[in-house]
Amino acid sequence: MTATVILQVAVGGLLMGLIYALVAAGLSLIFGLMDVVNFAHGELLMLAMYATFVVWLATGLDPLLLLVPVALLLFALGVAIYHLLMARALSVRFNRGMVQIFVTFGLAILLRGAAQFTFGSDFQSIGTSLLAGHTLNLGGVFVPLPQLAAGIVSLLAFGALFVIGRTEFGRALEATREDREAVALIGIDRDRIFALGWGLGAAAVGIAGVMLAIFYYVSPNVGANFALIAYVTVALGGFGSLFGALVAGLLIGLVEAMTALLIEPSLKQVGMFAIYLAVLMFRPRGLFGTM
Amino acid sequence: MQRVMLVVAAFVLAIGGGAARAADDVVIGVLYPMTGPNAQVGNDAKAAMETAADIINGSHNIPMLLGKGGGLDKLGGAKVRLVFADHQGDPQKARAEAERLITQDKVVALIGSYQSATAATISQVADRYEVPYMSADNSSPSLNQRGLKWFFRTSPHDVMFTQAMFDFFRDIGAKTGRKVKSVVLFHEDTIFGTDSSNAQKQFAEAAGIKVAADIRYRGNSPSLSAEVQQIKAANADVIMPSSYTSDAILLMRGLHDVGYTPKAIMAQSAGFAEQALIDAAGPLVEGVMSRSAFALDATKARPAIPQVNALYKARNNKDLNDNTGREITAMIVLADAINRAGSTEPEKLHAALVATDIPGDQTIMPWKGVKFDSTGQNVAATPVIQQIKDGKYRTIYPFDVAVQEPEWNVGK
Repeated sequence: MTATVILQVAVGGLLMGLIYALVAAGLSLIFGLMDVVNFAHGELLMLAMYATFVVWLATGLDPLLLLVPVALLLFALGVAIYHLLMARALSVRFNRGMVQIFVTFGLAILLRGAAQFTFGSDFQSIGTSLLAGHTLNLGGVFVPLPQLAAGIVSLLAFGALFVIGRTEFGRALEATREDREAVALIGIDRDRIFALGWGLGAAAVGIAGVMLAIFYYVSPNVGANFALIAYVTVALGGFGSLFGALVAGLLIGLVEAMTALLIEPSLKQVGMFAIYLAVLMFRPRGLFGTM
Repeated sequence: MQRVMLVVAAFVLAIGGGAARAADDVVIGVLYPMTGPNAQVGNDAKAAMETAADIINGSHNIPMLLGKGGGLDKLGGAKVRLVFADHQGDPQKARAEAERLITQDKVVALIGSYQSATAATISQVADRYEVPYMSADNSSPSLNQRGLKWFFRTSPHDVMFTQAMFDFFRDIGAKTGRKVKSVVLFHEDTIFGTDSSNAQKQFAEAAGIKVAADIRYRGNSPSLSAEVQQIKAANADVIMPSSYTSDAILLMRGLHDVGYTPKAIMAQSAGFAEQALIDAAGPLVEGVMSRSAFALDATKARPAIPQVNALYKARNNKDLNDNTGREITAMIVLADAINRAGSTEPEKLHAALVATDIPGDQTIMPWKGVKFDSTGQNVAATPVIQQIKDGKYRTIYPFDVAVQEPEWNVGK
């Protein structure tokens, strides 16, 4: 096995890791804010991919142009999910956590079924785009442009999320997370903050969906492939930590690829979970968790 | 009084309705993955099974077995009625659904089921309840080696398919002087991929062909980039994938992403039979070869194909492929056995299935025919090798049924 092969696999793993990280970022944000695991997160990714595919099919517009519109669409969807479902689930008196989990779980099944009903069960893919099929050859290490672009967009999205965290709104988010009852006393509208948190979380996964749609297939089930990894990423990086999600996403991408190369491809998820369990033993709150 | 009249009227209607039916429907349970990662294959299979039922029950007059329609004549023109169940590709759900179809829907036979892993559990349940399981498209060779009395399979299995692949390698090598010296096996990690790769390993060894790498991967992974890199590093003459659709898409795109153009790909059908792969990978799949039990282009020898394909296409807006062709055939063979039995009584049905002897030209398949051995395997099913040209699979082997010359880049 040559150094080039190892380097090539590492690059592939890290680029995929950036996608995992961005998917996980949205999940982490919502979790950090409300203590709710959004089980419909993979389905939000799937919807973003279908939105990209459908607009591309109808208009032929390059998916890259759809980044902002789809992110906005998903933002609106996230806000709507909060107001229509989560806010009501929050108002129950008993077993609030369980109710919220079941609401998102039910939503996941509904969205998946609705997608199969609407779009059929065929695997779809975007046939033409500016980036599709292009590959950079860096001294024997091949970097496919769509994956590279997805990685860059993911980093930019993380940058934007960090900047948002430094604004007034970001501090309100942080405050609401720490004490959701007390913030009302200082004039922060908890409902509004929660809704915006859901919007941002959904927008992040929306951006990941657009970039994935360029080089991945689209199907009603596609979210499930990424959701499990997103949950592990969030738990590994630390619940509620954006930086943790980024590091954990990269780590998981790398470990997954290296397990496939050095041990056995069918065991690559085992490698990923082994790292997670190892971290959990010594640091139960995750690598960068504060909770 | 009025109420009494109504009750009497309802009673008369109910009896009359019953008596007016010429014969009871023959109910067959159909198990496929209608949701989950392979939902596309399952929904195509549903359309294929409905097409077969339509051929049997309707009046299309197609030159094939049961092609004149009108139901099953030896059961008083009884219609075939299908009850579908979704096993989601999960062997445990498949077991539960098979049991439900038998005990609650009282089906006379089961048919299915795409993934061999699900067929393993379904056929066990069928054997326990003494109901025939007709395997339409499960290709794992171990399925008929478990001593199950009620298991029947019309299609070739992966040892027969793999034999055809290596026969092709031998013959094309002799013809062109450019022989296959090494292969890479690339297979998913359930019973389908495992059995397929085991067969391929044995045939390679027997033919003196080196297995440069044997890559067992996990299906439906988000990425196959590391696996693809291993294929590239092995740089063998032929890549031999045993993959379902989503993985096949990632494989073909991934090979291109790492700047690798394989000399030849010989697929164990499955995902490679699907239009979705050809749509997703476009020019990247040109020249890809696959084994197939069905040949859409064999219309000369099998004149029923255009009509059957048109009926299927009207339902599902796709042409028949390796999977759907086998599904229609299995349903027709099963219905014919029920008809010959003249009864839905299990032992009579079993005897009729055992006595099956259908010449190939009575089907849409390029086979010698349908005749089951003592394990329930059709021994007259003869596979073909096809190659994608201009986005369509065309038959290239055996040479006597080929419609075009193979494009052979090995050794060039």
